[in-house]
Amino acid sequence: MSPGLESLKHIVVLMMENRSFDHMLGGLTATHPKIDGIRPGLTNPDTSSAANAVSPQPLADFQGQLDPDPDHHFPAVDLQIFGGDTSPNRAANMQGFVKSYFNQRRDLKHSQKIMYYFPPEKLPVLTTLATEFAVFNRWFASIPGPTICNRAFAHYGTSFGRVDMNLLYVNEPFKSIYNRLISAKPKHTAKLYYYDTTSSTMEITNLLQHQPELFGTYPQFLEDCRRGTLPEYSFVEPNYNDHDTDRGGEIANDQHPDHDVQAGELYIASVYNAIKQSPLWPNIALLVVYDEHGGIYDHVVPPACTPDKFTASANATGTGMPFAFDRLGVRVPAILISAWIPKGTVVDRVFDHASIPATITKFFLGDYSPRSPRETSADIFIEPQAAPVDPARNLLSLDKMRTDCPDFDL
Amino acid sequence: MTVIHVPRSPESAMDPQRPVNALLRAQMQHLQDAELKLPARLQTDIYVNAIKTEGEAGEYIRRVTEAIHQAHDGAAKNRARTARKGTGVIDIAAAAEVGRPNRGSRIAGKKKTRKKSTKAAKKKSKPGRRA
Repeated sequence: MSPGLESLKHIVVLMMENRSFDHMLGGLTATHPKIDGIRPGLTNPDTSSAANAVSPQPLADFQGQLDPDPDHHFPAVDLQIFGGDTSPNRAANMQGFVKSYFNQRRDLKHSQKIMYYFPPEKLPVLTTLATEFAVFNRWFASIPGPTICNRAFAHYGTSFGRVDMNLLYVNEPFKSIYNRLISAKPKHTAKLYYYDTTSSTMEITNLLQHQPELFGTYPQFLEDCRRGTLPEYSFVEPNYNDHDTDRGGEIANDQHPDHDVQAGELYIASVYNAIKQSPLWPNIALLVVYDEHGGIYDHVVPPACTPDKFTASANATGTGMPFAFDRLGVRVPAILISAWIPKGTVVDRVFDHASIPATITKFFLGDYSPRSPRETSADIFIEPQAAPVDPARNLLSLDKMRTDCPDFDL
Repeated sequence: MTVIHVPRSPESAMDPQRPVNALLRAQMQHLQDAELKLPARLQTDIYVNAIKTEGEAGEYIRRVTEAIHQAHDGAAKNRARTARKGTGVIDIAAAAEVGRPNRGSRIAGKKKTRKKSTKAAKKKSKPGRRA
């Protein structure tokens, strides 16, 4: 057993909003070639009659550039991935991003902005964490679709057949990861921290209605870090809207276009600092991950995967074709942070959000059923303590805790 | 150890008047479903379809989230009160027995005995009938 795994007692997941891997981390490839980001030769055709090739450019802005919000509902993402090919034997080619964005404003020049990415120096927090800890080259959204169904995979290991934003999980066959933990014997602890009541949580229809005791706010998360009273599993949500409070204005920090990306940087740094300054730091792993790509360009073709127990009808997908949940969504940034991870780790195995409940379940509970076919086939990013550990898969592999982990000055 | 400076957003980045995006719209719809199941006194009088800005959405989300928590807190208090009441009844009955040993206790005792014996008789008779 590695000392890192032996020490691990708490896993924290922070899920941000709607940015692709290439958009946020693709610029790192120039200095860190193992990171699979932007390389010469990547293009997308525009919608002019000449179908001019549009290249990714390091011109992404914090705000004001992706307005309107790029379409990331199922039919739009289908166009982005397949380039508009709807034939039966089509192959994914990631050639439809500019076409898809053009559809929204019919503005050729504006549609090219969907190819913009951040130069690493503009995102000091995310790029520092990616290069200091473990960055995942192949972490994909669970569905080529929007937020709610993708977030459902992080909580339940499935979206119960939905590819849209209208999830009502009533009498569904698979329990949330929180319910699994708190109803286990011996009982485990789990909490879902939303930012504040004005932002609240996206996990609204089921858990907040029926089990509000599972929820806390971000100030409570900070206090739990400070006092060393974090539950074994924590899921942290950002602030989804700009709003006024008694303490002043609270800016949205979820990084959903057109919310300010810099505010999200500050939030990620604040979560990291709270964990690093906690007495639990030797015992925590933090996963920072994005729910989906938000319609923004990425060059890696999402792979096929084990079909889920459910199928979305042709009517539900809006593409004229049913979907068996047998292909992942577009790639997103994902970084695993712990004092036991070697600096500069790059992971090439395939993950999606179903890997979150899969990992938490395996780590804390061991074998568990029933779980969705998607979850049972998803790879895990932290090896279980109980099983013999394969050193090649264990990311918390250091013999001694690092003392050189970065700090963020907020 | 490296210390990385993190710049703050400019004040102009915040705009509660920004139009509501699809995500917030979906969140409000989910909350509205939840709101309809709340006791009437905890429901808002906000017409969700008329919400246009993030600031307005935030206000609606806050009121319903707090109402959900309030409803659960209320239910928990009621449960606790019912449990206490249950204890109280036993206490009072016990006190009554002490205060009026002859009449009260005997009547209560008779009734209980009668009910129990009836139930017990039925239970006993059922297996017999089946057999």
